[in-house]
Amino acid sequence: MNVAAVESWIEAPLRRYVDDARARLAVLLHPSGQVMAQAGFTRDVDVMAACALAAAAHATSGELGRQLDGRAFRGLHYAGATQQLFLSALETRRGIYVCLTVFDETSSLGLVRLYFEELRRELNAAAPSTIAARPTPTLAADFETELNRNLAALFSGPKAAAVIT
Amino acid sequence: MMSGLRGIIDRLSRQRGVRASLIVSEHDGLVVDSSLRFGEGENGERVAALAASIYRKARLSADAAHLGAVSFLQLDSDRGRLCAVGRDDLVLVVVAEPSANVGLIRVELFKALETLA
Repeated sequence: MNVAAVESWIEAPLRRYVDDARARLAVLLHPSGQVMAQAGFTRDVDVMAACALAAAAHATSGELGRQLDGRAFRGLHYAGATQQLFLSALETRRGIYVCLTVFDETSSLGLVRLYFEELRRELNAAAPSTIAARPTPTLAADFETELNRNLAALFSGPKAAAVIT
Repeated sequence: MMSGLRGIIDRLSRQRGVRASLIVSEHDGLVVDSSLRFGEGENGERVAALAASIYRKARLSADAAHLGAVSFLQLDSDRGRLCAVGRDDLVLVVVAEPSANVGLIRVELFKALETLA
């Protein structure tokens, strides 16, 4: 499966995760919707859509959790006829990220949750700890530029930027 | 139904050498009910996810090889044994010491399976 990451420390843990959990697709994103890494996607437009929808679903479920339970829900699981998705946030030294995982009948929610905990630990261990490496928050004015840059990094070419503009 | 499941778990856990007994959803790999006597560093969710995955693979493999349904699954390893039987979407899983009497565990698992029917 093709795995690509904007920052190199993400790639190995994500690759292990999708292999172990037998996920079909996975995308790691900033809660703002900015893509950080992807596995299994072949088109940048699909990653864009997945990130936007995952960020929205994460924000919605987080707020529902805060309203109902006083804090954000830890994970979200949708089961379709043949495909399922698991959406959950993970905290690293670089900040909070959201991971969207799509899997089918070759895996299970239990396996995905099991290996997601390992992904959480591995990313936390692999994240650069220097304060200088901490990313600056993405401003609305810069969002599209950042998104284009990340998509270009993931799909290695200028076509990502061309699709969006 | 939940008290019935609890009774199954209790009966399985009473067998000598049994360290954990679980009822797991085969499809999701999630724990339905369990009794665990593990040490630190092990948890039921991990056992449930992996046992359900192994059981499902065995079932699909037996089916693909035209061997019929899987009746009993046993995994022997250095530090323990895993035994599983299944019906519909539920898998009964027992994790036992290497010295445990697998014959007795097997009988109890099949009795439990009848209770589930």
